[in-house]
Amino acid sequence: MNEIIATQNLTRHYNRGRVKALQGVSLRSEAGKIFGLLGPNGAGKTTFIKILLGLQRPDNGTATLFGIPVNDPGARAQVGYLPENHRFPEFLTGAALLDYCGRLSGMRDKQKRLQRAEVLLKRVKMWEWRNTRTKKYSKGMVQRLGLAQALLHDPQLIFLDEPTDGVDPIGRKEIRDLLLELKQQGKTIFLNSHLLSEVEMICDEVAILHKGQLLRQGTVHELTTSDKRYRLHAHVGDAELLQQVRSRVSAAEAQNGHLDVVVSNVQSLNDVIDLLRQHQVLIQAIMPHKQSLEDSFFQTIQGTDASDLNALFDVNKAEQEANV
Amino acid sequence: MNKIWAVSYYTFRESLARKTFIGFFIISSIVLAILLLAINIDAVDGAMAGLSVFGKEARGLEIELEKLVINIEVGLATALFTAGLFFSIFATASLVPNMLDKGNIDWLLAKPISREGLLVGRYLGGLMVVAFNVFYLIAGAWLILSLKTGVWHFPFLLSGVLIIAIFAVIYAFMVFLGVSVQNSAVAIMGAYLIMFFSPMLVQRDRIYALLSSKIWQWLLDVIYYLTPRTFEVGAMVKDTVLLEPIASWAPIWHSMALGVLFFSAAVLLLKRKNF
Repeated sequence: MNEIIATQNLTRHYNRGRVKALQGVSLRSEAGKIFGLLGPNGAGKTTFIKILLGLQRPDNGTATLFGIPVNDPGARAQVGYLPENHRFPEFLTGAALLDYCGRLSGMRDKQKRLQRAEVLLKRVKMWEWRNTRTKKYSKGMVQRLGLAQALLHDPQLIFLDEPTDGVDPIGRKEIRDLLLELKQQGKTIFLNSHLLSEVEMICDEVAILHKGQLLRQGTVHELTTSDKRYRLHAHVGDAELLQQVRSRVSAAEAQNGHLDVVVSNVQSLNDVIDLLRQHQVLIQAIMPHKQSLEDSFFQTIQGTDASDLNALFDVNKAEQEANV
Repeated sequence: MNKIWAVSYYTFRESLARKTFIGFFIISSIVLAILLLAINIDAVDGAMAGLSVFGKEARGLEIELEKLVINIEVGLATALFTAGLFFSIFATASLVPNMLDKGNIDWLLAKPISREGLLVGRYLGGLMVVAFNVFYLIAGAWLILSLKTGVWHFPFLLSGVLIIAIFAVIYAFMVFLGVSVQNSAVAIMGAYLIMFFSPMLVQRDRIYALLSSKIWQWLLDVIYYLTPRTFEVGAMVKDTVLLEPIASWAPIWHSMALGVLFFSAAVLLLKRKNF
């Protein structure tokens, strides 16, 4: 396994422990993937990125990039970073800024710096503005330039904090395409974005952070596909049969020629199938329920899968009340 | 080293983009232009035969040529030590706090450069631009006066070195304040306070008589030894140009040691800082 990012029990508190920004976050990310970090405001996403980049020190735990501890500047040699709300020196032109960044990143050959800057400025459509001072740039232009500076030294790992912030829809599409292109080149991209649809479109793996805790980590497919909710394309008109189904699963709802069930395991699903077949019900298809990343995100943030599903199907309510 | 040089170079460029430095440079250029064009000295066998300022002949001025040159140089060195340092403090105070600003420091620290490297580069860049301005005026004035009079008075150049040295110390103190409180105004006030209290601290023997308790005297001594001795270095600058013997070089060594201490403290503080 080619681990690029590895954190172990990362903890960071502010205000003498009153604000728990990170609470024992252990996360690993492999090379060549687009990794999305999700979480509401104040979840600890920026703190997490800042620790990885050596901008902050953890109170506890360890973090490495390419196996090098993050407090070693060498860990950042192969890292590009586009911060959120960045401010570049206003006296510099776009081209001069890239030259400065190239030198700070260890690119000694001026010719190579110039060539690389040209390629990237053209790629982010800022070539025409290369000799204009950054203070005259719009927010979207600064963002494009920020992306170029993050990629200048051809890093293997790229951290992007809200990369499409302030960029118009066409620009967003271009940035998404660029990120996918970088992934094809084998780069690892760590994306912090509020735009869940965007994350869903391009990320391979996602982690959800909430109140400083890592709630979930997995592929987008894993997060959007439930192993507990299935839709069976079958007509269940018999109320008694439906009652029998309900007794075997956590929740069940029949409508418009299909049956939605919530099961605790695959065995329960098979029990339901067996029951339906015993009653000569024709099953045309069985599909795991797929939800959007946004739904999955909210479910994770708001509570467990089961409690949300209960709300969704509005069943077990009486049971719960009885239990209480 | 290449990365530190890059930070210094771009700090130099940033400083040049500031109006304060441009103002400093313009004033220096005007002074040099006056020396070059407005002051005409007729020298015959090392003695002054005539002096005219803006075309008007200065009559009744019985002064040796060498003394005249030295007096002009003392005036310039004193002006540089006061007004020049004032300008320089004002112009460089924001360099470190600006670098540490949110949004700016993030992308800088994400580059593979150490924090100490970043601070050293920033410090050297600020120092370079002040040194450039001071030597532009000192070396320019020295060359013009020497060519016009034939009096090649090298100690004037040494006064420039002393001015840069004391600025380096004050600037290290400003860097320390800049890292600690991240505020340019505080850095400026701190530097001006040092320059303001330095003459008083030199005279602390006289102040002792006014103090009731020994504790206050002790406190005054502590402040004296913990602050750069700018007033005494100023006197050294004047003595150097006047070819007066320097009683003690201790004020400059002591101040430079403090400068190293301030800068080291700034580095330690920066290394511990979270952004």
